Amino acid sequence: MLRITVNGRATEVDADPATPLIYVLRNDLALNGPKLGCGRAQCGACTVLVDGHAARSCQVKLGDVAGAQQVTTLEGLGTPEAPHALQAAFIAEQAAQCGYCTSGMIMQAAALLAEKRAALTEAQVAEALDHNLCRCGTQPRIVRAVMRASRQQGA
Amino acid sequence: MGVQTPTRRGFVAGLAAGAAGLAIGFRLDARAQQAAPVGPPMLRANPKLDSWVRITPDGRIVVLTGRVELGQGVLTAMRQIAAEELDVAPARLELISGDTAETANEGVTAGSQSIKFGGEALAVACADARATLVTAAAETWGVERAALSVTDGVIEGIGGRRMTYAEAASLVSLVRPVNLAAQRKPPHAGTIIGTSLPRTDIPAKVFGQQVFIHDLRPEGMLFGAVARPPAYAARLVSLDMGWAESLPGVVKVVRDGSFIGVIARREEQANDAAHRITAAAQWRDGEAIFGGKGVFEHLKTQPALTRTIHSKDAPAAAAARTHVAEYRRGFQAHASIGASCALATFEDGRLTVWSHAQGPFPLRGDLARGLRMDPAAIRVIHAQGSGCYGHNGADDVALDAALLARAMPGRPIRVHWTHEEEMVWEPWGSAMVVKLEAAMRADGSIASWGHDVWSFPHSTRPGDRVGCNLRSAWYLENPVPPSPIVDGALPNGASARNAVPIYDFPGQRVTTHFHTAMPVRTSALRTLGGYFNAVAAEMFIDECAAIAGVDPVAYRIRHLADQRLVAVLRKAVEISFWQPRPVVMGRGNAQGARLVGTGVGMTKYKNSDSHVAVVARVSVDPATGVVKLEKMWAATEAGRAINPDGIANQIEGGMVQAASWTLLEEGRWDRNRMVSEDYHAYPIIDFDRIPPIESVLIDRPDLPSLGVGEGSQGPTGAAIANAILDATGRRVPEIPFTPERVLAALRA
Repeated sequence: MLRITVNGRATEVDADPATPLIYVLRNDLALNGPKLGCGRAQCGACTVLVDGHAARSCQVKLGDVAGAQQVTTLEGLGTPEAPHALQAAFIAEQAAQCGYCTSGMIMQAAALLAEKRAALTEAQVAEALDHNLCRCGTQPRIVRAVMRASRQQGA
Repeated sequence: MGVQTPTRRGFVAGLAAGAAGLAIGFRLDARAQQAAPVGPPMLRANPKLDSWVRITPDGRIVVLTGRVELGQGVLTAMRQIAAEELDVAPARLELISGDTAETANEGVTAGSQSIKFGGEALAVACADARATLVTAAAETWGVERAALSVTDGVIEGIGGRRMTYAEAASLVSLVRPVNLAAQRKPPHAGTIIGTSLPRTDIPAKVFGQQVFIHDLRPEGMLFGAVARPPAYAARLVSLDMGWAESLPGVVKVVRDGSFIGVIARREEQANDAAHRITAAAQWRDGEAIFGGKGVFEHLKTQPALTRTIHSKDAPAAAAARTHVAEYRRGFQAHASIGASCALATFEDGRLTVWSHAQGPFPLRGDLARGLRMDPAAIRVIHAQGSGCYGHNGADDVALDAALLARAMPGRPIRVHWTHEEEMVWEPWGSAMVVKLEAAMRADGSIASWGHDVWSFPHSTRPGDRVGCNLRSAWYLENPVPPSPIVDGALPNGASARNAVPIYDFPGQRVTTHFHTAMPVRTSALRTLGGYFNAVAAEMFIDECAAIAGVDPVAYRIRHLADQRLVAVLRKAVEISFWQPRPVVMGRGNAQGARLVGTGVGMTKYKNSDSHVAVVARVSVDPATGVVKLEKMWAATEAGRAINPDGIANQIEGGMVQAASWTLLEEGRWDRNRMVSEDYHAYPIIDFDRIPPIESVLIDRPDLPSLGVGEGSQGPTGAAIANAILDATGRRVPEIPFTPERVLAALRA
C-alpha cells in the first residue's frame, strides 16, 4: 500500500510503485480529468501538477509521488460552483472541440499562471503550451482563453 | 469569426443571384417531386415520430438524434434546431444520441451531413409535434390554432388559458409516423437558430466530469488489450498459453486464430501482457508491403480500375497551349489525441457495446457478422471519444472489446488501444497522385480541364450488408472477410471528391484509377479525397494563371459562374488586403533574408456544401527550406447558419488541421507495417507554428444550411501551396511541404 495525496486528500493505493501515475489517477481513484494520450510524454493530455509544477502523469511513477507530494488534477483546480479562472475562461472562449486535450491544456496553463505573475503575452502562452497537442485545431481559442484568465488573475 | 450579413449592395446582388438560382432550382425540384417522395430522406428512412421527439407524462421533453457528438458541437446545434421548432428553451430539452435501442438509424455522422440531413429531419419532426400539440389544445378549447402561441413548452390561449405540452400530449398520440408535410418555422421567425448558443458539453469537459467513454467504469470492470501481430500479413503459429495466462494481473487470454486478447485486472497489466505476448509468440511472416517499392510507383503501375466518371465536351477550338502537372500526397493519419476505446458486456446471450464510433447502427451490423450473432441481440450506445476526424480505430476496438466480453460473460471489459496501436492499426488516409491537364486558349483562359486521380479506398467503414470491416475479424480462426470495396459515386465522390471542377470550364473530364487492394489499409480521413483533389486543382489553376500572366484571383473569377463562390473569394480578398499581381514562375519574392508569398485557395465542399475561400501568407527560409505560416484568412458561406460560433470553430480548427497535413504529415512504413507510431515519428502541428487566423462568415438565412465540418481543409492546403509558389516561384509538387522538398525545388 502506498499513500498519495491527490487534490488535498490522502489515499492508500494498492499498486506497484512503478505504475505510471495516470493509471492510478484514472482507474484507482476514478478521476476523469487527466487523460491518457500518447503515453510517451509527447502530447500533454495527462498533465497534472505535482507540488505546483506541471508533470506528465504517464511518466511519473506512483512511487515518485508517494509520501509528502501534492498531486493536483483538473478536479482539484476548481468546480462548477467555484471555477478556476482558467476553467471559466475556457468556457467563455468556447476553447474546445472534442475536449480530450482540455485538461492537459488547463493544467499546463495553470502552472504557467502560477509562475508568471506579470502580464503574459500570447507568445509566452504559445511557448508554454508548445508541447501540448490539440488535434481539433482549437489552439487559437486556447491561447485566447489563457490570456483571458491571465488578465482576470492580474485584475 | 465576425458574422457579416450582406451589405446593402451585396444584398441586392445576392438577391438577384439567389432569385436566379431559385428559378433553376424550382424547375429541378418540380421534376424531382414527381419521381421522389416528399420529406427529408432521414424521415422517410425513420418515420416513427417517437424516434425523434417524445413528451413524457411527467413533462420531460426528449429529443433524439441518430447523429453523434464528435467534438464538432452537433448536439448543441441539434438542441437549437429542436428548441426552435418546439418553442422550448434549449436547456429544457433532454437529448438522446446514437443508441441502437432508442434513436433513428442515421448511418454515420460523417461527410458534413448532420445539419443538412439530420437537422432537417429533426426540425420537421419537432414541427410536426408542435403542430399536433397546439391542435389538441385548440380543439379542446374550441378555438382556432392561429389564436394560440407557445412559450417554453406551454401553450397559451386568450383569457390566460394554459396547457403544458405534457397535458396536450395526453390528448393525442405521438407514437405514429411523422407528418412529412409538417411546416418548419419560417427562418425570419427564428430566435434560437442563428445564435451562438454556448456548447452544452464544454463545462463538463473543463471540470473533469464523466464525459468520455474512457471515463466509464462499471462495477466489476476488467481491462482488455490485444496482442497485435508484428506485421499486417503475419499469422500466429504458436503461443504458450500457460505462460501467457501466468503474466502479472492476467485473468484470461483469449485466442481465436491469430487474434490474441488479454483480460487483466489493471489496464497497464493488460497492455504489458499484450506486448510481451506479441514478442514471445511465433508468427508466420507475410509479403512485404508494396513489394518493397514506393507507394506512388505502386499507385501508378499496379492494376487499378480506370473509369472516366465525369465529362463534358468542349467545343472544338484550337488550344494555344497545354499545361500538364502531377501532384502527390503520402499516407496521412487521424492521429487522435486519445486512442480508440470501447466498453462491452455480454450477458444472457446479449451484447451491449459503448462506442465512440461515428455510426452505431453500421457498427452493430458489422459486430453481428464478425461475432456471428443476431444483430437484434446487440445494442450499441454512443459515448464520446477523442476527436476522430474520420474512420479511425473506434469501430475496430469495439469488436476487440466484444470478443473479450463474450469470453467472460457478466464482466464489463474496457479496451483502450495504445497510441502506437492506433497509429499502426487504424485505417490511414490514402496516398494519392493527381495529374492535371489544361488546354489553354490564346487569351490564357482554360478551354478544357482533365483531372486524373490514383487512389486507394476512402471508405472501408462498417455498414455493408456482407462482410465485416472490423480489423480483428480478419485474424480469427474462421475469419470474416471485409466487405466488397467500392469507390463513392459522384456527385459527392470519394477518391474523386472535389475532382469535378468548381470552375465553368467548357471541357471537363475526371478519371479515377482506383485500387481495391490495400497493402496499407485505408479509409475515411476528414474530406476523403476532397482535400487533396482540391489542393492539386487549386495549385494547378495558379500555375495556369502564372502562364497566362494574370492575377490568381482575377483568373479564378474569370472562370467562375457560381456567384456564391465569387462572393467568398471576394470577401477573403477584401479581409486579407490582397494585392493583385501575376505570379511569375521562376521568380521568388525576396524580402530581406526570406522569401515571402501570399496564396489563395477555394472550394465548394463536395461540389454541394460550404463555400470557403482561404488566403495564406507564408515566408520561406531559402537556406533551410522551412516554411513559416505568417497569417491565414478565411471567408465562409454555408447557407443558413445554425450556430455561427460553431461554424467558426469548425472552419478555424479545420484550417489548423489542414496546415498540419500540408506542412508536416506523412506516414512511413517498413516491410511489415506502418512505423510512424508516435508524435515524434508523425509530428502534428503545435502552438508555435500556428499563425493568427481571421475568418468571416457570410450568413444566408434565405438558403438551406450546408455542411461546414470539412469546408476549410482543401482551401487551406491550396492557399499555403500557392503562397509557397508565390514566395519561391517554384512548384513543390508533393505534400507535405517539408524543408527538404522546398529546398530541392529552390535548387532545381
